[in-house]
Amino acid sequence: MPETVLVIGGGPAGLEAARAVAEVGAQAILVERRAVLGGTPDESNYAALTPHLGSAQDALDLLRAGVQDPNVDIHLETTVTGCTGSLGDFRVTLSGPGGESTVKAGSIVVATGFQHFDPGRETQMYGYYEYPDVITLPDAEKMLKDHHFVRPSTGEAPRNVAFIQCVGSRDRRLGNEYCSKVCCGVASKEAIEIRQMLPDCKVYIFYIDMRMYGYWESQIYWPAQEQYNVNYIRGIVTEIVGKDGRLLMKGEDTTMGRPVEVLMDMIVLSVGMEPSKGTRDVAGILGVEQNKYGFIHTPGEPMDPVGTSVPGIFVAGAAAGPKDLEDTMSMAGAAAMRAIRAIRGLARAEVSASR
Amino acid sequence: MRDLPVIKVDGVLELEHAVVDGVDISGHWNRMFNQRAINAYPTEAMDWVTGLAGGESMRDCYQCGKCVPVCPVNHVGDYGPRKLNVKVLRGNNLLDDPDLWLCTTCGNCYRVCPKEVNPLRIMPAIREQAVLEGKVPDELADVFQKLQRTGNPQGESPRKRADWIAEAGVPVPLISELGRPVDVLWYVSDYTSYHPRGKDAARAMARVLTALGVDFAILGNEERSDGDSARLAGESGLFEMLAEQNIKLFNKYQFRQLVVMDPHAFNAFKNEYPRLGWQGEVLHYTQFLAPLVDRLQFQSQVDLDVTYHDPCYLGRNNGEFDAPRRLLEAIPGIRLAEMPHNKQNGYCCGGGGGGMWLDGFVADHVSERLSERRVREAVATVGTDGTGVLSVACPYEPSRFEDAVKSTGNDGRLVVRDIIELLDQALQPASA
Repeated sequence: MPETVLVIGGGPAGLEAARAVAEVGAQAILVERRAVLGGTPDESNYAALTPHLGSAQDALDLLRAGVQDPNVDIHLETTVTGCTGSLGDFRVTLSGPGGESTVKAGSIVVATGFQHFDPGRETQMYGYYEYPDVITLPDAEKMLKDHHFVRPSTGEAPRNVAFIQCVGSRDRRLGNEYCSKVCCGVASKEAIEIRQMLPDCKVYIFYIDMRMYGYWESQIYWPAQEQYNVNYIRGIVTEIVGKDGRLLMKGEDTTMGRPVEVLMDMIVLSVGMEPSKGTRDVAGILGVEQNKYGFIHTPGEPMDPVGTSVPGIFVAGAAAGPKDLEDTMSMAGAAAMRAIRAIRGLARAEVSASR
Repeated sequence: MRDLPVIKVDGVLELEHAVVDGVDISGHWNRMFNQRAINAYPTEAMDWVTGLAGGESMRDCYQCGKCVPVCPVNHVGDYGPRKLNVKVLRGNNLLDDPDLWLCTTCGNCYRVCPKEVNPLRIMPAIREQAVLEGKVPDELADVFQKLQRTGNPQGESPRKRADWIAEAGVPVPLISELGRPVDVLWYVSDYTSYHPRGKDAARAMARVLTALGVDFAILGNEERSDGDSARLAGESGLFEMLAEQNIKLFNKYQFRQLVVMDPHAFNAFKNEYPRLGWQGEVLHYTQFLAPLVDRLQFQSQVDLDVTYHDPCYLGRNNGEFDAPRRLLEAIPGIRLAEMPHNKQNGYCCGGGGGGMWLDGFVADHVSERLSERRVREAVATVGTDGTGVLSVACPYEPSRFEDAVKSTGNDGRLVVRDIIELLDQALQPASA
């Protein structure tokens, strides 16, 4: 039986899974919807990675270099449109520039990722589509990447900027009852970058509670507060209205128990994670169970974070829910190993049966 | 109606007298709230505080609130260390805020602070600016003047500083008159020199040192206040002036060890005087006596239930918890019991950081004195029938606690004794 693993998705999770498969001598087929590898960090213009502010470009180059291997068969601008068979004998239909084709794979790793929450779904709260100076974390990321952080409405540097946390996360009404896990760190990281770039700009983070798990506490949160003078105000915002060319932000300062009505030049919405369209589509095509939020269900958690409801199909990265890069890389390695082992376990079973 | 007086209390408008259409709506009936919304988060106050030498850690608070339940002042009012950061982060530089003077620098919040926000450095830094701007409560300003003029906070004549030795019952040599080096220079300190109860402790100390055959002397009328509480209350210039005078004396005479009665002096000599040019061995008297305790020839039983109050500047802020307890345990007959707040979690008497000189001001902002709370705790531990003793090792405390025993209605239930007085008592033959 050929040891072939189909990896769906060419972002960090998929690149690392494909690299790992090839590294141990198995064959990987890597399928990516876009014309370039890199996934959301590339598509959403990530500049500096949380927590160390290392270059996202360097990290992606490293990941891309990892799949430059004769054992990795890369299909760009290609999507999965059908799947039959089972563990050891999946037949998957790919639709790409050359039309449709069918590949055979012993097992599959789904690495189709997430998409950023669309703040337009928060109706009449944040005016994302109404006020150009209301932006999202990835919008800010792009400006930081270009070293040009300005108010979109005027092209001038902002005098004050507020981040609003938990936009699209932890919300029963929106259906996203989960914490998106990375936004507190990413917002703090961007706040540091803004303070570095614009030392006269006051930066505020309005939050329900800061969720700086693990080392991010001292790697991001404390430096942001202690060295970069980012002002953390507990309390969240429910309304943004334009006033005199600026943004009047209304919320509650819960520490003071008083309303907040503060004028800001720019507001950054810390949007959370939702399953990408690719994750939803692929889950349907492969027949793997999704959880109530649309992410790929991992029934074996917490002991098995990569197994799906279908034997031989594994998941890595944010296709399985909000993940940071460390989670993603760990899952990719685990998923690759489990995918190969599933094929080899089958092969061993066949050998012993034939004796 | 327009001309009537307006009572303005923190955003609330209330007319003292108001009659509308013949209906009297004086007082709370016409209460109106001002705009409550916060319209700006100015960063200048925080930048200013953290720009002061000592104020740096103010920014680091992340509002966990661990400090508030252990802050003694919080038990009797609205003040809490966490709330200082809240105020500064919202533009209040504290210069005109009573909170600036409520902290006793007892250090219990710093003990539990996960972010190491340190009011022992922050408060003096901001208070120093208040002093420079003349924004000091009157009673504290009055004490600063007395310290400046007389070298002691009571404003007593410096020429009477050593008057207490006349009634010590043993010779108390002045180092200036000895004309030779001594083993121990005993720094007597302010309250021990002038306050009636402090003088009791001084005389007891003289007798104990004599009983031990210690080669000691005092500075006498040359001695000046250590200045540490003035420093913590924001008068760093005054502190440095007093320190300079004392350091001149320390350098003039030869001695092996400096022994002090007052933990605040201990703190100053150990932690602050080195940067001003004096370095030497300094011991609190309990630390000096504890290793010698086996040499004490006790003459009588002291049949008492005793609890011990850890002074903030001996215990928590300088780490000495054992020496006082070793002395107490050595006294025949004493039964030592701990109060719930002891050692690292000792409860402040309210006298530190200038609190000693702010009783009137503080009283306007708290429901009861810290010393009163502490006395209630002591009574609950050892006192109901008058044989209970609250033992202390800081000259601020006898007067504070004895006042509190009276004001809490515990007269006759609890007595306050310096440890040195209990030692002295046990060294005397049992009285008839």
